[in-house]
Amino acid sequence: MIKNFTLRLKWQFLPLAMLLSASALGQSVLSGKVIDDKGKPVSGASVYLDNTIDGATADSTGVFKFSTDEKGAQTIMATEVGHENAGMPIKITGDVKDLVIKMKTSARQLDEVVISAGSIEASGNGKTVLQTLDIVTTAGAQADIVKALQTLPGTQQQATQTGLFVRGGDASEAAVVVDGLTAQNAFLSTPPGVAARSRFGAFQFKGVAFSSGGYSARYGQALSSVVELNSNDLPDKSTVNLGINMAGAYASGSKLYKNSAVEGTAYYNNLTPFYGLANTNVDYYKVPQGGGGSAKYTWKPNKDGIVKALVNYSKFTSGTGIPDPDSGMAGKTLNFDLTNQNVYSSVSYQQNLKDKWRLFTAGAFSYNQDDIKWDTIPMLNKDNRAEFRAEAKWYATSRFSLLFGGEFQHFSYSRKYGYLTGSFDETQFAGYTEADWSPVNWFTIKPGVRYEHSQILQQSDFAPRLAMGIKSGLYGQFSVAGGMFYQLPDPQYMIYGYRPKMQEATHYIANYQYMHNDRTLRVEAYYKSYSDLIREHVSMFDPNNYYRYIYGTVDNSGYGYAKGAELFYRDKKTVKNADFWVSYSYIDTKRLFKNYEAEVQPDFIATHNLNIVAKYFIEKLATQVNVTYNYASGRPYYNPSNPVFMADRSPEYHNLSLTVNYLHSIKKWFTVVYAGIDNITNHKNIFGYRYDNAGNAYAIKPALYRSVFVGVNFSLTAFDKDEL
Amino acid sequence: MTRYIILIAMAAFLYSNCHAQNMQETLKKTFIAFDTTQDFDKKLEQSNKLSMIAKKWNDSWETHYYNAYSKASISYMEKDEKKRDAFVDEAERERDEAVSILGKENDETYVLAAMVANARLAVDGRNRWQKYGKIFEEDLTKAKEINANNPRIYYLKGISVFFTPKMFGGGKKAALNYFEKAEPLFAQEQEDDMSKPFWGKRANGYFIAQCKGEDKE
Repeated sequence: MIKNFTLRLKWQFLPLAMLLSASALGQSVLSGKVIDDKGKPVSGASVYLDNTIDGATADSTGVFKFSTDEKGAQTIMATEVGHENAGMPIKITGDVKDLVIKMKTSARQLDEVVISAGSIEASGNGKTVLQTLDIVTTAGAQADIVKALQTLPGTQQQATQTGLFVRGGDASEAAVVVDGLTAQNAFLSTPPGVAARSRFGAFQFKGVAFSSGGYSARYGQALSSVVELNSNDLPDKSTVNLGINMAGAYASGSKLYKNSAVEGTAYYNNLTPFYGLANTNVDYYKVPQGGGGSAKYTWKPNKDGIVKALVNYSKFTSGTGIPDPDSGMAGKTLNFDLTNQNVYSSVSYQQNLKDKWRLFTAGAFSYNQDDIKWDTIPMLNKDNRAEFRAEAKWYATSRFSLLFGGEFQHFSYSRKYGYLTGSFDETQFAGYTEADWSPVNWFTIKPGVRYEHSQILQQSDFAPRLAMGIKSGLYGQFSVAGGMFYQLPDPQYMIYGYRPKMQEATHYIANYQYMHNDRTLRVEAYYKSYSDLIREHVSMFDPNNYYRYIYGTVDNSGYGYAKGAELFYRDKKTVKNADFWVSYSYIDTKRLFKNYEAEVQPDFIATHNLNIVAKYFIEKLATQVNVTYNYASGRPYYNPSNPVFMADRSPEYHNLSLTVNYLHSIKKWFTVVYAGIDNITNHKNIFGYRYDNAGNAYAIKPALYRSVFVGVNFSLTAFDKDEL
Repeated sequence: MTRYIILIAMAAFLYSNCHAQNMQETLKKTFIAFDTTQDFDKKLEQSNKLSMIAKKWNDSWETHYYNAYSKASISYMEKDEKKRDAFVDEAERERDEAVSILGKENDETYVLAAMVANARLAVDGRNRWQKYGKIFEEDLTKAKEINANNPRIYYLKGISVFFTPKMFGGGKKAALNYFEKAEPLFAQEQEDDMSKPFWGKRANGYFIAQCKGEDKE
């Protein structure tokens, strides 16, 4: 009886037992390993059945194991952050062992190829070689953007001549462009023989692009180079900035509203303390002083548009004893009184439309006046400029865009020296178009053409431009750039009524750039040929470049060439908290222009230029130390007793400078105390010699050898009381 | 007969228990496992599960939200820069997916956006602080406009200030203000509903202890 019962019970529980084991049977265990295309295990890979949450993470040997109730045809997936997703079909009829899933390493996103031949960009986007802050903290640059550019390849060191001298060209061949418009008076006015700083404060700009040749069809009228300065957009916060240093005091403030901001600056400079401490090589009987201010209004009418309006005004006076250009005696000076007033105003508007169009239009007006007295003879120089640009860029696809636009410029110069007067007015029109095409990821080509018309010369020109970039490997790229460039001759020729033709230069540039892990290497070579350079046919050479009276025939029979190679290496990685760059430029250039007697290397060019810039941040002391060393080989100068023209060479140039910045917060004020010594070794840099009628030589010296500069800056950022 | 019915009922019950997968339960369990471990491998395992959960329950904003959170959070612990950026890329995608399911942003999605911006910044602080620092502040401001009592706003801001060098106005003392503001707001939160995110409370307490500790600077 009991036996029967047990037997029946067994039968009743059998289905249950079967069901139970069936559900256990319903679980299949999948196991195996995940490897990459080289056979190495991919640890951390997530392995799972598609459309389920049955899965596991592969261990350090790539092995995974998980169970699932799914059956039949399934897809097993593997994902891992450094690899491409992998999947394969499997059939589950029970446990599946020894699965091998292969994953391919992620095809690293190639950075877009960026054409770099002939240009170095500095901005905040991390893809560029330099940042605006790098420029400002460079020792020896004295926070002058243009002076800081002189540590880059292709430039020359200058202390006695104003401007940027790029790859064999003189100062007139480099244009400074602010927000798309040429700045006619980019540099302050100074007496002859003293190099002036640029008018721009480094902190006004979010980015600088320095082109040493082959630049875009967007610009013209500069035979050698264009420096593009892009002003800041809306400030992040309202701020107040106060500073005092050995050159004077300044205050600036910005007030941020919802979509707009108002900014203003005011400054007063008086170089008495600065020159008082230094031994000047120049006699300042009236120490330079002056002041000015600026106002800026920025407005974002919508998310993709921005309007900027700004106005700058400055006035400076100085009295300097300069070598008398006409005297037969060495060392004789005459008094050069100078009062300069300058007004600059511009309005610009940029609007992006749906990522398909970028419209830009801008207009500017500037007026500059130099009231000069040469001993007793007055000289009045006035110039003004009005210009307008309108352009549109069409982003047809992610690989092709087209830029087209037009420019209008009107400028006039007038000079009154004693009873001699001269002036001219010029109107120029230009139209340009440029395409940007990347048919494949690793190649970009940028052809462009620019048409210019000069009214005063009654001359038009077509200037083609071309640039290409090819990626080589993951981190390197080759690029080439070239084109034709035209430029009006120096205003001083036009003032005296001459109407020569435009000067011309053709550029060919090739470079290789390698950027990886915060290290950059650039190697660049170029050839420039100059033709139609302005030439004066005179019987004797006069080395005086300033306000030299021009007589004789003037035509475009001048010519020349410039070729060279440059090396640039920057490293932000090797030493922690340190950043340094080395730039070496070699140039071989000769030209026959202006009143030169023969085709020679001009007196503003040194064959070898070496710059070493280093910055180190000492975290514990919240102090940054910057050191710069500049070297230039001797430059040519004119020696009347040498039968070979411009064959003499000045001594070499050495300049070691150091600045120290100390950062601190006093309550809510962020403070920077800075101190610097320029030319620490007091090296007597001589840029050449002038000779008097008796054959005595006197050295062309910079205004100062060693100099010291100290200052402090306080900035207060608006503290939002509601923030807490 | 009755026995048979009971048998079948038991079998049915067993079956349904084996296969029932409640989204809320699974999500909560996985998320809490993720958030309470400090071990990278364990975190990665849970983060991978959150990816699977988001893929399976594709129509729920919560699965994508927490998946995004886990990717942004784990990016800080990854050493390889490219992988870090890849984690942040996925965090961005998942967060955007959550927002498109919700139809619009809310304070929690803005807070998550700020966290993602901070994770992006942290990969290469030196070159990215300007761009992503700005986005971080903007997103927290937008979150505050919607709900000023969201403790995570002050918690994230506190972390940012905590890691900012003292000379730029950061440091422990300045950060403490934000963590202390967040603390009572965290205390008010319930921790059971996944549709009302509650992360950050534990870490906030940890940071308060850090700030109050010996300040050798």
